[in-house]
Amino acid sequence: MQKLPLEGIRITDFCHVWAGPHVTQWLAVMGAEVIKIESNLHPDLTRSFFAGDKTLTPGLNQSVDFAVLNYGKKCCTINMTLPKGRELAKEIMRVSDIVTENFGGAVMDRWGLGYSDLQKLKPDIIMYSGSGFGRTGPYKELPAYAPIVDAFAGLFSLNGCLGSEPCPFGVGGWTDLVAAQHGAFAILAALHHRSNTGEGQYIDLSMTEVASSFLPDAIMDYTMNDRVQGAQGNRDNAMAPHGCYRCQGDDEWIAIAVSSDEEWKAFCDAIGNPEWTTDERFRDGLNRWKNQEELDRLIQEWTKTYSHHEAMEILQRAGVMAGPSLKAEEVVQDSHLREREFFIDIEHPEMGTVRLARLPWKLSDSPQGNYNHAPSLGEHNDYVFKELLNMSDEKIAQLQEEQVIL
Amino acid sequence: MGALSSLKVVEWSEFISGPYCGKLLADLGAEVIKVEKPGCGDKTRSYGPFPQDMPHQEKSGLFLYLNTNKLGVSLNIRSVTGAEIFKELLTESDILIENHSPHEVEELGFDYETLKKLNPRLVMASITPFGQTGPYRDYKACNLTSFHASGLAYLNPPEVDDIEQEPPLRGPAHQGDLAAGLNAAIATMSAIFSCHATGLGQHVDLSEQEVLASMIRRNLAGVTYEGITMTRVKGSQSRGGSVMGHCKDGYFFMLCNTDKFWANWVEVMGNPDWAASELFQTTISRRENWDAAKMMIEEWAREQTVDEIVRAAQAKRVPCTPVNTVRESANSELLADRNYFIEVHHKEAGKLTYPGAPYKLSKTPWHVERSAPLLGEHNEEVFCRRLGYTRQDLLIMRAEGVV
Repeated sequence: MQKLPLEGIRITDFCHVWAGPHVTQWLAVMGAEVIKIESNLHPDLTRSFFAGDKTLTPGLNQSVDFAVLNYGKKCCTINMTLPKGRELAKEIMRVSDIVTENFGGAVMDRWGLGYSDLQKLKPDIIMYSGSGFGRTGPYKELPAYAPIVDAFAGLFSLNGCLGSEPCPFGVGGWTDLVAAQHGAFAILAALHHRSNTGEGQYIDLSMTEVASSFLPDAIMDYTMNDRVQGAQGNRDNAMAPHGCYRCQGDDEWIAIAVSSDEEWKAFCDAIGNPEWTTDERFRDGLNRWKNQEELDRLIQEWTKTYSHHEAMEILQRAGVMAGPSLKAEEVVQDSHLREREFFIDIEHPEMGTVRLARLPWKLSDSPQGNYNHAPSLGEHNDYVFKELLNMSDEKIAQLQEEQVIL
Repeated sequence: MGALSSLKVVEWSEFISGPYCGKLLADLGAEVIKVEKPGCGDKTRSYGPFPQDMPHQEKSGLFLYLNTNKLGVSLNIRSVTGAEIFKELLTESDILIENHSPHEVEELGFDYETLKKLNPRLVMASITPFGQTGPYRDYKACNLTSFHASGLAYLNPPEVDDIEQEPPLRGPAHQGDLAAGLNAAIATMSAIFSCHATGLGQHVDLSEQEVLASMIRRNLAGVTYEGITMTRVKGSQSRGGSVMGHCKDGYFFMLCNTDKFWANWVEVMGNPDWAASELFQTTISRRENWDAAKMMIEEWAREQTVDEIVRAAQAKRVPCTPVNTVRESANSELLADRNYFIEVHHKEAGKLTYPGAPYKLSKTPWHVERSAPLLGEHNEEVFCRRLGYTRQDLLIMRAEGVV
């Protein structure tokens, strides 16, 4: 069996909340050793989600939010507010390939751990900074969360049913995840460059810029045509039908898209060629698009007589694009995802068995990935301070005494 | 020199997912040869948006954006000669990106088992709606149906008044396809790292359904671990202290998920009496009483301008922003200061403004060296100069519809 792709790569990880931990989680699963730096003074915020407030309850190791974003990682606790804590963190960075952070502002610089400082520590270090608005520019010190970025970049203005007012995106962390994935890719590119040249570098990722890069049609339409697009709901600029239709059953819906005359014919055959399908108003793509409101109404008459899964099977057998609008619990039950082993069971010392989504791809000749449970606070202090840094028990005890290791 | 300039990539992909994967690699310096079918080329060429809404094969805004920095060849890989040439290209490449159905790829004889005999170092990234295995492997899908079949759309919009009248909605534009291409790029790079160590390539099996389902991993864990069933009905989901409010002149959005943010936000509102109520003093009590807080905030906001609120909130470091259209965001001081947008000159489409770098790399900056290729623009460069075909060969192949 081969090793994991990133085995031998070590990351000192100051990331917290959503956007940052997702970057290093991808890399940890692929084999990088990710050492998360936290402390009992400043545990990762997601450790206290749904665990009440910030008081130090055992709940800090039992947060579902933390568990889904931090599997595969290690954790040690260092009090970064003390100069000695920062010196200790430097020792870990000295033996790392990558340092990652997503603070709300230039915290690393203020700690004397900015990129130029790290370069002195280790010339070929790769440093990743993720932020809402970038590490330069007028908003560099502003805190941000994904929905803030989405609202700023224009995503809200494009979300919602046709012609609606701006609408928050239903998946609050969408841009956190998309930004994190761009970050993971950028880090891999920088690593590739380092392995070819020996040169490290600094990566400055702004979530706002990622969000804009994910709206190219709307932006190009604006820069080319001065047109400001609005919400389109499930509709498309070219295809019709292209919508989501009510099915039998409790809040069951199916999405259907037809992209050509050939698919239209297949669609009509599949639903038994009711008379309306020969209507002049639906004779070609242009007419279907122009008359899609009526078309949607008629299609829904058909979909309402089937469950969403039945409708999907009928249409897919005819070669028509159709997908049920699955609820989260249906995704968990989905027979296809089950056969692909999309969910993995992780044994967690305090939470028991946690069933989580794996990375969304499979490599044919690499092991499945590092799916160790998300670390408890300070779980790897011994490993990091003793094994990695070769510190004596006395030294460690002293640093604990001084609240450096906390 | 780009971070990835040592990599040679062949992109045999249509529309958005595969091309975005290719773009990510090309914009950091990889040599990406885009293989399109002769005649109509990549589907995106006919998709738009087009300048002045005039369809033109070389002027689709989406195509121009997705294909920067690539070389373009037209090649009918369904012909015998075309297939030969395609395989010659793959022999010299590190990566193949494709997004065709598994059935079609096998039928054409370009499946991984065949290709790895040709080039054991090849990393083949296959981007499909449902992956290479499982009962849905050959099912058809697009951005819309994938958004729904992954559970993402069901959560959007987050709060619905009438679930019978308002269907679940996909996200704006083509973000599902883009996310699939993005994850394929990460997976491909990880396979390249394995190849550094072993000298062997491998097959990347990427499912768009899984990519999108993994975006709601928190909700999925809610089901598997906490037994939570989500509905779309208004008020059924905790929105964690956020408000989108309507001001005199537009919308603002703010998020107060900590005590500190809340205390500062109360100051922004001028310390109204209601905010001092017991109901709003802790994170938990605010979460429970958020509807009431939200109503009061909305009422207050109606008398303010967006700018007044956002400036005051930002001065106190409360996460708060105007709800922008793409125009407002594109013209923002922020994106101008960060030099985000770039101007690209294209032979047919002329000079246009494109979205720029999603990340800034200090030593190997993201940059656009060449605009998207015309259909078949680099046939001669690739087929003659690289593979050694003569111009005479090219003429014959053109006559036969191979290129």
